[in-house]
Amino acid sequence: MKHGQEEKKLKILIYPALLLALITVAAMAISIGAVPFTLREIGAVFLELSGLPCGVSIEPVKKDILLQLRMPRVVLAGAVGAALATSGAAFQGLFRNPMADSYVIGVSSGAALGAVAAMLVGLPAAWGGVGAVPLFAFAGGAATLILVYQMARVGNEVPVMPLLLAGIAVSAFLSALVSLLTYFADDRLHQVVFWIMGGLGGATWTKVKIMVPYALLGFGTVYFYHRELNAMLFGEETAHHLGIDIEKVKKILLAGSSLMVAAAVSTSGIIGFVGLVVPHFIRLLIGPDHRHLLPTSALLGAVLLIATDTLGRTIIAPRELPVGIITALLGAPLFIYLLRRRKKLRYFDRTE
Amino acid sequence: MSIQLTVHDLTLQYESHPILDRLQFEISRGQRVALLGANGAGKTTLLRCISKALKPTAGAILLEKRDLESLSPRELAQTMAVVPQETRTDFDFTVEETVLMGRLPYLKRFTPEGDDEKSIARRAMAMTGVSHLAKRSIATLSGGEKQRVIIARALCQEPQILLLDEPTANLDLGYQHSLLELITGLNREKGITIIAAIHDLNLAARFFDRMLLLSSGRVLAAGTAEEVIAPGPIKTAYGVDALIYRHPLAGCLQVSVRNNTDDTKTKQPPIHLIGGGEEALPVMEYLRRQGYPLSIGPVTPEDSSYRFAAFYNLPVIEVPPFSPVSDRAHRAHLELIKKAALTVVPPIPFGIGNLRNLEAVETALEQGSPVAILSHALDQVWDFTGGEAGQILERLKSKGAQLLGDRSQITALLERK
Repeated sequence: MKHGQEEKKLKILIYPALLLALITVAAMAISIGAVPFTLREIGAVFLELSGLPCGVSIEPVKKDILLQLRMPRVVLAGAVGAALATSGAAFQGLFRNPMADSYVIGVSSGAALGAVAAMLVGLPAAWGGVGAVPLFAFAGGAATLILVYQMARVGNEVPVMPLLLAGIAVSAFLSALVSLLTYFADDRLHQVVFWIMGGLGGATWTKVKIMVPYALLGFGTVYFYHRELNAMLFGEETAHHLGIDIEKVKKILLAGSSLMVAAAVSTSGIIGFVGLVVPHFIRLLIGPDHRHLLPTSALLGAVLLIATDTLGRTIIAPRELPVGIITALLGAPLFIYLLRRRKKLRYFDRTE
Repeated sequence: MSIQLTVHDLTLQYESHPILDRLQFEISRGQRVALLGANGAGKTTLLRCISKALKPTAGAILLEKRDLESLSPRELAQTMAVVPQETRTDFDFTVEETVLMGRLPYLKRFTPEGDDEKSIARRAMAMTGVSHLAKRSIATLSGGEKQRVIIARALCQEPQILLLDEPTANLDLGYQHSLLELITGLNREKGITIIAAIHDLNLAARFFDRMLLLSSGRVLAAGTAEEVIAPGPIKTAYGVDALIYRHPLAGCLQVSVRNNTDDTKTKQPPIHLIGGGEEALPVMEYLRRQGYPLSIGPVTPEDSSYRFAAFYNLPVIEVPPFSPVSDRAHRAHLELIKKAALTVVPPIPFGIGNLRNLEAVETALEQGSPVAILSHALDQVWDFTGGEAGQILERLKSKGAQLLGDRSQITALLERK
């Protein structure tokens, strides 16, 4: 009884808490760097932007750094973190498998292959009006997902082990293909390698404009079906008995999640563990209800990636550590810690 | 009663092997139908076809004359709810959240569950007796509690038909009965048609009013318990020899599988028992369990001792009711006593009809056959012969019959010999 009420309180408190964390982390990320900003300066730039007069005058160079370098980077980091975390939550719910995330299932590798192929072919950035790299990343991710899903499928069930094994196998194969392409990358080698490591360097408003609509569309699609995701935790057949058109919903959810992954991977390369750790952590706090799990995972994912990206940007300054390395360094031990506390894990501890 | 569900020529093949083979039956509104059949007979497959979780290879299922194929999952979920055999609940939804999911087929997207929905859920929880668990995590519940929660969720769908797959399979005795009573209540109070696959024929006979016996994907028998629970169909469906009888208390049909062990293949010495009356049963049951080959004295076919002998395929002398033991039966009785290493007189009532059995014991005792009398046969006044039976028992005692206080002493007596 007490347990339930505590959870309810947490559900109400978690939104303002995460929003506060997001604002704090974002403000810190903007202010920290080779050119530091005080909160007053940040405030002044924003006031000026909104057309209000302010007492403080800021050099145009500093203003440019803030608006054209730091801001897009923070927004992009937030969007990528949110997309990765939400897609992880959706994959885990969809597959009823705690190990599922875009990284383990191979969608990331597929998206990477698509993106690298697009880079090497040298398709123009605005190909088809949406950008060739994200488009190819999406196609690669979606194709991989369908492939892994079909490989693991036994009748109507997608059992855990075959899914993971198929994901690992396909992921390894695609990674090899990415390496192969990289080998022949020649003058584009640097671009490709740095992209694969996963980083948000070179974030621009253009990238934000390309990435965010995809991510939002993906998130909207997944959130649209949050009730179905809840019911699907009870198994596909139960969800069917509750009036859900399983095959249709599953495809839509896979497409929505892949869209988010593709959007994230195409702009920032491969960033692991955000999609794995964040939803698990949220489930520990507020339970498995996707109505809250999806938005709070998005918020925490954004907070986490903005924070780790800022760390990567500043820890060995003036050089930059790709954020993918940091999330893996932090995420893997954290995930192991969560696994050790398995009894408290919000679902899938039936092996106990 | 109007026809609610029509199954027409339903066939389902799996890798060209028919699981369901041209099934044909109808179910009327408000019936309680038990789907019976051995493992692999197609019960679960049939339920999954009816709930549209499986697509049949051929044939059709009509719900109120509408083809199931033409119904959307949402429409179907508003008419039919399913309680699966086992529900995976390895995550922390509360009972209330789980039950509320039963409203999914009615909810518009993004419209939050309103007070109407919540009060329907509350009523469903009250009806299945899980209100006090509302805030608990479903992962922490026992199997019986969980089944009730899943039934509450099914009720939340306000269905006209409730499908249950082995609802009692994982439940203990108490939960089995309370669950079936709950389902019967829902059927009577709300008129919900119940279709349940069930393994336990005795529970089926007691709680359901129509049976459908499947065998190799076909309907072997359908109708009332009397029509379906019969030795023939049960032999075909389950491959066992069944004995059908009325439950002595509940009055419904019951099934027991005939004993197939060969009681003659034992190293223990044979024992003959004077049967007749309920009091002989515990003694016979005990001795058989100890591995003694038994023969049973002259009894009428209605007697529990006779049924015992028939069940275990033991030698028994049958006599017509309400009449004295004939000469022929008397001679046969003497034969059995002579073959036995010991003759046991259990604490049974004696009247004019079976007095001759005691006389046979006396004759045999005089000729050297060992006899044991369970002592409370003497203490109790079960003598309906005006004292004659008591006198014979006294004479048996004086002529060397062993007087035993308890059935367990029979073993010791035989070991001493």
